[in-house]
Amino acid sequence: MKKIIKTGKAPAAVGPYSQAVEANGTLYIAGQIPVDPSTGKIVDGGIIEQTQQVMKNIAAILEEAGYSFENVVKSTCLLTDMANFADMNGVYGSYYPENQPARAAFAVKGLPLGAMIEIETIAVK
Amino acid sequence: MKKVLYLIFFIIVAGSCKEKVPSPVQKEVISLDGNRAGRPYSPAIRVDNTLYISGQIAIDPATGEFVEGGIEEQTRQVLVNISALLDKAGYSLSDVVKCNVLMADIEYYSPMNSVYSEFFTVDPPARKAFAVKDLPMGALVEIDAIAIK
Repeated sequence: MKKIIKTGKAPAAVGPYSQAVEANGTLYIAGQIPVDPSTGKIVDGGIIEQTQQVMKNIAAILEEAGYSFENVVKSTCLLTDMANFADMNGVYGSYYPENQPARAAFAVKGLPLGAMIEIETIAVK
Repeated sequence: MKKVLYLIFFIIVAGSCKEKVPSPVQKEVISLDGNRAGRPYSPAIRVDNTLYISGQIAIDPATGEFVEGGIEEQTRQVLVNISALLDKAGYSLSDVVKCNVLMADIEYYSPMNSVYSEFFTVDPPARKAFAVKDLPMGALVEIDAIAIK
Protein backbone atom coordinates (compact mmCIF):
# COMPACT_ATOMS: atom_id res chain seq x y z
CA MET A 1 0.00 0.00 0.00
CA LYS A 2 2.70 2.51 0.89
CA LYS A 3 5.50 3.40 -1.47
CA ILE A 4 8.85 4.71 -0.27
CA ILE A 5 10.23 7.60 -2.34
CA LYS A 6 13.99 7.93 -2.57
CA THR A 7 16.13 10.25 -4.68
CA GLY A 8 19.79 11.30 -4.74
CA LYS A 9 18.65 14.76 -5.87
CA ALA A 10 17.50 15.54 -2.33
CA PRO A 11 19.55 15.03 0.84
CA ALA A 12 19.59 11.58 2.35
CA ALA A 13 17.64 11.22 5.57
CA VAL A 14 19.66 12.24 8.65
CA GLY A 15 17.84 9.70 10.82
CA PRO A 16 15.52 6.69 10.69
CA TYR A 17 12.91 8.10 8.29
CA SER A 18 12.15 8.09 4.55
CA GLN A 19 12.49 11.17 2.35
CA ALA A 20 8.82 10.68 1.46
CA VAL A 21 6.09 8.07 1.57
CA GLU A 22 3.18 7.85 -0.86
CA ALA A 23 -0.09 6.13 -0.02
CA ASN A 24 -3.43 6.31 -1.86
CA GLY A 25 -2.53 9.36 -3.93
CA THR A 26 -1.18 11.30 -0.97
CA LEU A 27 2.52 12.10 -0.65
CA TYR A 28 3.96 12.76 2.80
CA ILE A 29 7.35 14.49 2.47
CA ALA A 30 9.62 14.43 5.49
CA GLY A 31 10.61 17.78 6.95
CA GLN A 32 13.32 19.15 4.69
CA ILE A 33 16.27 21.10 6.04
CA PRO A 34 18.66 23.13 3.85
CA VAL A 35 21.20 20.39 3.19
CA ASP A 36 22.75 20.46 -0.27
CA PRO A 37 22.54 16.85 -1.51
CA SER A 38 25.85 17.25 -3.40
CA THR A 39 27.83 18.12 -0.25
CA GLY A 40 25.66 16.68 2.51
CA LYS A 41 26.05 19.96 4.39
CA ILE A 42 23.83 22.92 5.26
CA VAL A 43 24.18 25.57 2.54
CA ASP A 44 26.10 28.77 3.24
CA GLY A 45 24.16 31.94 3.83
CA GLY A 46 21.16 33.02 5.83
CA ILE A 47 17.44 32.35 5.89
CA ILE A 48 16.95 33.23 2.21
CA GLU A 49 19.58 30.75 0.98
CA GLN A 50 18.38 28.14 3.46
CA THR A 51 14.75 28.48 2.38
CA GLN A 52 15.79 28.24 -1.29
CA GLN A 53 17.66 24.99 -0.62
CA VAL A 54 14.72 23.54 1.31
CA MET A 55 12.38 24.33 -1.59
CA LYS A 56 14.85 22.75 -4.07
CA ASN A 57 14.92 19.61 -1.96
CA ILE A 58 11.12 19.51 -1.84
CA ALA A 59 11.01 20.03 -5.63
CA ALA A 60 13.36 17.07 -6.19
CA ILE A 61 11.27 14.77 -3.99
CA LEU A 62 8.00 15.91 -5.59
CA GLU A 63 9.47 15.24 -9.02
CA GLU A 64 10.81 11.82 -8.06
CA ALA A 65 7.33 10.87 -6.86
CA GLY A 66 5.64 12.27 -9.99
CA TYR A 67 4.12 15.28 -8.23
CA SER A 68 4.64 19.04 -8.58
CA PHE A 69 4.26 22.13 -6.37
CA GLU A 70 0.71 22.45 -7.74
CA ASN A 71 -0.15 19.21 -5.91
CA VAL A 72 0.90 20.53 -2.49
CA VAL A 73 -2.04 21.01 -0.11
CA LYS A 74 -0.32 21.63 3.24
CA SER A 75 3.02 22.88 4.52
CA THR A 76 4.38 23.20 8.02
CA CYS A 77 7.21 25.74 8.34
CA LEU A 78 9.41 25.42 11.41
CA LEU A 79 11.74 28.34 12.04
CA THR A 80 14.27 28.88 14.81
CA ASP A 81 13.40 32.58 15.01
CA MET A 82 10.17 34.39 14.06
CA ALA A 83 12.39 37.28 12.90
CA ASN A 84 13.03 35.15 9.78
CA PHE A 85 9.30 34.86 9.01
CA ALA A 86 9.12 37.61 6.35
CA ASP A 87 12.25 36.49 4.47
CA MET A 88 11.06 32.88 4.54
CA ASN A 89 7.68 34.02 3.19
CA GLY A 90 9.35 35.83 0.29
CA VAL A 91 11.18 32.74 -0.96
CA TYR A 92 8.39 30.30 -0.07
CA GLY A 93 5.76 32.43 -1.85
CA SER A 94 7.78 32.46 -5.08
CA TYR A 95 7.30 28.68 -5.32
CA TYR A 96 3.56 28.94 -4.71
CA PRO A 97 2.28 31.81 -6.88
CA GLU A 98 -1.35 30.65 -6.82
CA ASN A 99 -3.68 28.19 -5.08
CA GLN A 100 -1.23 28.25 -2.22
CA PRO A 101 -1.24 25.33 0.19
CA ALA A 102 -2.69 25.64 3.67
CA ARG A 103 0.11 26.21 6.13
CA ALA A 104 1.17 26.40 9.75
CA ALA A 105 4.30 28.35 10.69
CA PHE A 106 6.00 28.82 14.03
CA ALA A 107 9.36 29.03 15.76
CA VAL A 108 10.85 26.07 17.62
CA LYS A 109 13.69 25.79 20.10
CA GLY A 110 16.09 23.98 17.78
CA LEU A 111 16.25 22.11 14.46
CA PRO A 112 18.41 19.18 13.27
CA LEU A 113 21.98 19.99 12.20
CA GLY A 114 21.50 23.58 13.42
CA ALA A 115 19.22 24.49 10.49
CA MET A 116 17.28 27.77 10.61
CA ILE A 117 14.29 26.29 8.80
CA GLU A 118 12.54 22.99 8.20
CA ILE A 119 9.47 22.53 5.98
CA GLU A 120 7.18 19.51 6.01
CA THR A 121 4.89 18.96 3.00
CA ILE A 122 1.78 17.02 2.05
CA ALA A 123 0.80 16.68 -1.63
CA VAL A 124 -2.24 15.05 -3.21
CA LYS A 125 -2.99 13.95 -6.75
CA MET B 1 18.43 15.91 -43.80
CA LYS B 2 19.02 13.08 -41.33
CA LYS B 3 19.61 15.63 -38.58
CA VAL B 4 16.33 17.34 -39.39
CA LEU B 5 14.49 14.00 -39.21
CA TYR B 6 16.11 13.26 -35.86
CA LEU B 7 15.06 16.69 -34.64
CA ILE B 8 11.46 16.15 -35.77
CA PHE B 9 11.45 12.71 -34.13
CA PHE B 10 12.80 14.24 -30.89
CA ILE B 11 10.15 16.96 -30.89
CA ILE B 12 7.38 14.38 -31.37
CA VAL B 13 8.75 12.16 -28.57
CA ALA B 14 9.24 15.13 -26.25
CA GLY B 15 5.72 16.33 -27.03
CA SER B 16 4.12 12.97 -26.28
CA CYS B 17 6.09 12.67 -22.98
CA LYS B 18 4.73 16.02 -21.90
CA GLU B 19 1.16 14.83 -22.38
CA LYS B 20 1.78 11.94 -19.99
CA VAL B 21 2.34 14.34 -17.08
CA PRO B 22 -0.81 14.00 -14.95
CA SER B 23 -2.96 17.07 -14.64
CA PRO B 24 -2.80 18.61 -11.17
CA VAL B 25 -5.48 17.71 -8.72
CA GLN B 26 -8.28 20.22 -8.31
CA LYS B 27 -7.54 22.30 -5.23
CA GLU B 28 -10.24 24.61 -3.94
CA VAL B 29 -9.09 27.63 -1.96
CA ILE B 30 -11.35 28.46 1.00
CA SER B 31 -10.98 32.04 2.21
CA LEU B 32 -13.02 34.49 4.25
CA ASP B 33 -11.10 37.59 3.24
CA GLY B 34 -10.16 39.00 -0.15
CA ASN B 35 -6.83 40.79 0.33
CA ARG B 36 -4.16 38.22 1.10
CA ALA B 37 -1.12 40.12 -0.20
CA GLY B 38 2.05 39.17 1.62
CA ARG B 39 0.53 35.96 2.99
CA PRO B 40 1.69 33.10 0.76
CA TYR B 41 -0.79 30.51 2.01
CA SER B 42 -4.48 29.77 1.70
CA PRO B 43 -6.66 29.87 4.83
CA ALA B 44 -7.87 26.41 3.83
CA ILE B 45 -7.53 24.03 0.88
CA ARG B 46 -10.09 21.42 -0.06
CA VAL B 47 -9.06 18.49 -2.21
CA ASP B 48 -11.47 15.61 -2.76
CA ASN B 49 -13.18 15.14 0.62
CA THR B 50 -10.34 16.47 2.71
CA LEU B 51 -10.07 20.02 4.03
CA TYR B 52 -6.68 21.30 5.23
CA ILE B 53 -7.06 24.37 7.46
CA SER B 54 -4.04 26.62 7.98
CA GLY B 55 -2.78 27.37 11.46
CA GLN B 56 -5.20 29.92 12.90
CA ILE B 57 -4.26 32.60 15.39
CA ALA B 58 -6.60 34.76 17.45
CA ILE B 59 -7.25 37.53 14.96
CA ASP B 60 -10.83 38.74 14.84
CA PRO B 61 -11.68 38.87 11.09
CA ALA B 62 -14.11 41.75 11.76
CA THR B 63 -11.35 44.05 13.03
CA GLY B 64 -8.18 42.43 11.71
CA GLU B 65 -6.80 42.75 15.24
CA PHE B 66 -5.90 40.30 17.97
CA VAL B 67 -8.71 39.71 20.45
CA GLU B 68 -8.31 41.21 23.90
CA GLY B 69 -7.56 38.90 26.78
CA GLY B 70 -5.47 35.84 27.50
CA ILE B 71 -5.27 32.22 26.47
CA GLU B 72 -9.00 31.49 26.96
CA GLU B 73 -10.06 34.36 24.70
CA GLN B 74 -7.40 33.55 22.14
CA THR B 75 -8.31 29.85 22.03
CA ARG B 76 -11.98 30.78 21.59
CA GLN B 77 -11.21 33.14 18.69
CA VAL B 78 -8.97 30.53 17.02
CA LEU B 79 -11.77 27.96 17.17
CA VAL B 80 -14.33 30.52 15.98
CA ASN B 81 -12.04 31.16 12.99
CA ILE B 82 -11.69 27.42 12.32
CA SER B 83 -15.48 27.02 12.59
CA ALA B 84 -16.00 29.83 10.07
CA LEU B 85 -13.63 28.22 7.55
CA LEU B 86 -15.29 24.82 8.07
CA ASP B 87 -18.68 26.42 7.53
CA LYS B 88 -17.52 28.23 4.37
CA ALA B 89 -16.29 24.90 2.97
CA GLY B 90 -19.51 23.09 3.94
CA TYR B 91 -17.96 21.19 6.84
CA SER B 92 -18.59 21.26 10.57
CA LEU B 93 -16.52 20.73 13.72
CA SER B 94 -17.69 17.12 13.83
CA ASP B 95 -15.84 16.50 10.54
CA VAL B 96 -12.47 17.43 12.05
CA VAL B 97 -10.20 14.37 12.33
CA LYS B 98 -6.94 15.91 13.46
CA CYS B 99 -5.68 19.09 15.13
CA ASN B 100 -2.26 20.42 16.01
CA VAL B 101 -2.26 22.80 18.97
CA LEU B 102 0.81 25.02 19.30
CA MET B 103 1.19 27.11 22.41
CA ALA B 104 3.65 29.84 23.36
CA ASP B 105 3.86 28.30 26.87
CA ILE B 106 2.91 24.82 28.07
CA GLU B 107 1.28 26.52 31.09
CA TYR B 108 -1.57 27.31 28.69
CA TYR B 109 -2.38 23.64 28.25
CA SER B 110 -5.15 23.42 30.83
CA PRO B 111 -7.03 26.66 30.03
CA MET B 112 -6.68 25.91 26.29
CA ASN B 113 -8.20 22.47 26.89
CA SER B 114 -11.20 23.82 28.74
CA VAL B 115 -12.14 26.16 25.86
CA TYR B 116 -11.20 23.54 23.22
CA SER B 117 -13.58 21.03 24.80
CA GLU B 118 -16.46 23.54 24.54
CA PHE B 119 -16.09 23.26 20.75
CA PHE B 120 -15.33 19.55 20.46
CA THR B 121 -17.95 18.19 22.84
CA VAL B 122 -18.27 14.60 21.57
CA ASP B 123 -15.82 12.29 19.79
CA PRO B 124 -13.06 14.91 19.68
CA PRO B 125 -10.45 14.72 16.90
CA ALA B 126 -7.00 13.17 17.27
CA ARG B 127 -4.55 15.81 18.36
CA LYS B 128 -1.05 16.71 19.29
CA ALA B 129 -0.25 19.69 21.48
CA PHE B 130 3.05 21.26 22.45
CA ALA B 131 4.79 24.47 23.39
CA VAL B 132 6.93 26.21 20.77
CA LYS B 133 9.51 28.96 21.04
CA ASP B 134 7.37 31.59 19.37
CA LEU B 135 4.23 32.03 17.27
CA PRO B 136 3.47 34.54 14.50
CA MET B 137 2.56 38.04 15.72
CA GLY B 138 3.19 37.02 19.31
CA ALA B 139 0.11 34.77 19.43
CA LEU B 140 -0.39 32.60 22.52
CA VAL B 141 -1.95 29.72 20.60
CA GLU B 142 -2.13 28.49 16.99
CA ILE B 143 -4.30 25.58 15.84
CA ASP B 144 -4.37 23.87 12.45
CA ALA B 145 -6.85 21.17 11.48
CA ILE B 146 -7.71 18.50 8.95
CA ALA B 147 -11.37 17.65 8.28
CA ILE B 148 -12.79 14.82 6.19
CA LYS B 149 -16.33 13.99 5.19
